[in-house]
Amino acid sequence: MFSSSQFEDSSPLAGGGFMSSQLGGSTPSSARIRDMQGLVPATVKQISEASQSGDEKSSFIIDGVDVANVTVVGMVFNKNSRSSDVRFHLDDGTGRIECIRWVTERLDTGDLDALEDGTYVRVNGHLQTFQSKRQLNAFSVRLVTNFDEVTCHYLECIHFHLQNSKVQSKADEGSVLASQAPDLSFSTPVRGASNGHHLASTNDFSMQYNDDGLKSFDKLVLNYLQQPSNIDREMGIHVDELSQQLKSPLEKIKDAIEFLEREGLVYSSIDDYHYKAVEGL
Amino acid sequence: MDTSSPAAFVNGGLLRMHVGRKVRTVIQVTRSDAGSVMGKSTDGCQLVVRGSPPAPLTSYVEVIGVAENESSIRAELWTNFGDSFDASNYDQLCQLANGELKHLFL
Repeated sequence: MFSSSQFEDSSPLAGGGFMSSQLGGSTPSSARIRDMQGLVPATVKQISEASQSGDEKSSFIIDGVDVANVTVVGMVFNKNSRSSDVRFHLDDGTGRIECIRWVTERLDTGDLDALEDGTYVRVNGHLQTFQSKRQLNAFSVRLVTNFDEVTCHYLECIHFHLQNSKVQSKADEGSVLASQAPDLSFSTPVRGASNGHHLASTNDFSMQYNDDGLKSFDKLVLNYLQQPSNIDREMGIHVDELSQQLKSPLEKIKDAIEFLEREGLVYSSIDDYHYKAVEGL
Repeated sequence: MDTSSPAAFVNGGLLRMHVGRKVRTVIQVTRSDAGSVMGKSTDGCQLVVRGSPPAPLTSYVEVIGVAENESSIRAELWTNFGDSFDASNYDQLCQLANGELKHLFL
């Protein structure tokens, strides 16, 4: 079943020759490109594991999203001031990354002069690679004064990750394009070769796909509803029962139901909490 | 790029999962002597942190070091986190960072 997603520019229906080449799905990565993010909150570990986007933009991909600029909070170490730049390592407890603050005028780096080893700062900068090492080209280095900012930063990293894991797993349905995101794994493109049914553990954020475009968790829900004994139940199955039987949180059940409903595989019966599988498919 | 020695976010209850490894936590100082500090973790446990604390110490201090056992840390780095700090926020972060989202940190 081909479900087009708003993120997929390379469907045959898109453009018709009138779209500008930038939007026209010029690379496979456009399936998951949204507009370039602003400042993405990230841990150094996430940065170290990010894959690189293949085109000249030379940006990185974190959680399936093109990322050029990041914001990181951590401690300064090994500060080295020169006439052209100030360099230091930023250690955020998940790893260390080198940061460079280029100096145009002496006044620019007044903020950096006072930095001692172990001082917490927030660095906003552009991710780049130099001699196969990842670096941050810092355009802003700011002292952290209220340490709730440290907690907040990590929570933002988590939030960004969760938001994009959820969105990209929905955007991938029916997609025939290979994924560039490092944390998703599926063994074949959706159409064509059949492969085994991979069951993802319910605690695992990286979903695995079987061969008809349904995430394995959605399939679990569908299979339960498709059981003959459940098909026979006129009133349908309550989402709470699904949650109990499949031992999954209600939110996850609801997401799956929402998707299955959109695909025309299930429908709500007596009310918005009871669902049945569509028969005769 | 060096990811060789990440520090796990811990509170009192999580400390035992990382004994012998590098950890980080924030405690509310209850007593401080030369050579060790006693404090309350963000989940209310009593912890002992050994090392040389900075002077003066604020109410909240973050320590990064090696977990010696389930209630004590040998600290390498101390950072004063001030007198007002949202401990419950930090506690939630510890739980998230040790759960499904561990891969973002360690």
